[in-house]
Amino acid sequence: MAQQLAMVIDAAKCIDCKACVAACKVANDVPEDQFRNWIKPTQDVPAPGVLTARAKFQPGACMHCDNPTCVDACPTGATYKDPETGEVVIDDDLCIGCGNCIPACPYHARFRNAAKRKADKCNYCPERRAAGLPPACVDTCPTKARVFGDVNDPESEAGRLYRKNKGRLTRVAARTDTKPNMFYVGDPGDPTWGGEAVVPASMVAMKEAAPLVKGVVALSGLGVLAMLGRQFLAGNDSKEDRDG
Amino acid sequence: MAKMHKRHDKSDILIHWFNAVCWVLLLLTGVGLIQNPAIDPFGSGYPEAMRSLVGGGGNLLAIHEGIGLVWIAGFILYLIVNFRGARFFLAEVFSVSPARDMGWMLKKMVLMTLGPKPLKAMGMDPELPAQGFYNMGQKAFAQVSVAGGVVIAVTGVIMYLSDRTFGAEATGWVSWSIALHFIAVGLVFAGLLVHIYMAAISPEERPGFKSMFTGAVPDDYAKHHHRLWWEKAETEGEQPTE
Repeated sequence: MAQQLAMVIDAAKCIDCKACVAACKVANDVPEDQFRNWIKPTQDVPAPGVLTARAKFQPGACMHCDNPTCVDACPTGATYKDPETGEVVIDDDLCIGCGNCIPACPYHARFRNAAKRKADKCNYCPERRAAGLPPACVDTCPTKARVFGDVNDPESEAGRLYRKNKGRLTRVAARTDTKPNMFYVGDPGDPTWGGEAVVPASMVAMKEAAPLVKGVVALSGLGVLAMLGRQFLAGNDSKEDRDG
Repeated sequence: MAKMHKRHDKSDILIHWFNAVCWVLLLLTGVGLIQNPAIDPFGSGYPEAMRSLVGGGGNLLAIHEGIGLVWIAGFILYLIVNFRGARFFLAEVFSVSPARDMGWMLKKMVLMTLGPKPLKAMGMDPELPAQGFYNMGQKAFAQVSVAGGVVIAVTGVIMYLSDRTFGAEATGWVSWSIALHFIAVGLVFAGLLVHIYMAAISPEERPGFKSMFTGAVPDDYAKHHHRLWWEKAETEGEQPTE
């Protein structure tokens, strides 16, 4: 089975310290006011002296979905699901920052990087992985709430956690089911905040127009074939060019 | 040597073939940039092949953008060198005489595909109405090319600037540019198929094809294919080239 790089997150361990958010910004040089990952405090925010409130924190980022609606919204394949690793990748050289993929993510994991002017999101820190290090957020997490690895590999830490907790893993639910590859052990709070994958009207228009454009080209091609057919069958009777 | 009529300037001939070469290269590279099963004109395989040929999608995009900018620069240069020629061309291709030209267009389509018999059977005269410097088919394709070319160039520049100067608030413009660029190319390409057949393959337009190299057409070709232009040249005493 091919790899599926994923995160298995023990939400109960998260203390909302935001070290993962800071480490990601530093490691990936993410511009001010933009973030590749987050920690969602959900429902009751604990207050001093109130014993009913229970803290629940939900760390998150791009979920490298099995059904990536962002990929469907990209006209050039600049963002794609890597069949080897299961990652949803952005090819920075091919992306021109048209923004189609951004509303297509129901988890708001994508943004247009203000410095690069291209789509941006979590990429599991490929530079760090190439150097044998885990992604920055995972590396820095003081309680090790975030565990990263190939969930299809039973030997990996993520794979072991995934298997051990298979029956009680939670995923963030969205109105568009993208089959995210981010799994929560423990109570991550509200898991139903995911929105709808919105494909921009311009991309819808392009998809709708494509068969019509092909139809016009095909019609024109048929016309040429008909003329060619007549040229060969009827021969060249262009006597009209001669005078008298 | 037979009497000849001048039809194209050197700059006209140059811009025509420059445009043709750019179009071939831009089509080959541009189609390779579309990789989405819902749009992909040739289906899967072609974009991947083009990309691996030039060492990646990023390189293919850079090549396409480079040729596109050269294409636009070529037209700006042409407008500077031969503005009068461009104005003459635009005035000719956008002046349509509805009754005469629509009749020509319909009859020509029947003649080219089915021959004169259906026209005769319907009691119509298969003789085509006289045409000017351009016939209606040439005018129709020129109109589509000019309008399409402007859309393609403007949307191309918007896309080129997207990740160079535009902010996130401009992505609507960029995204619509992608859609319009694709649709405009598709429509001009449909016309291009007929243009290539009529001009380069159909035997009766052979003198017209040759004039896109030499710049001149023989007198009898001008008389039978562009009667109104020929009459004007005769009465106004235009100096025919020998």
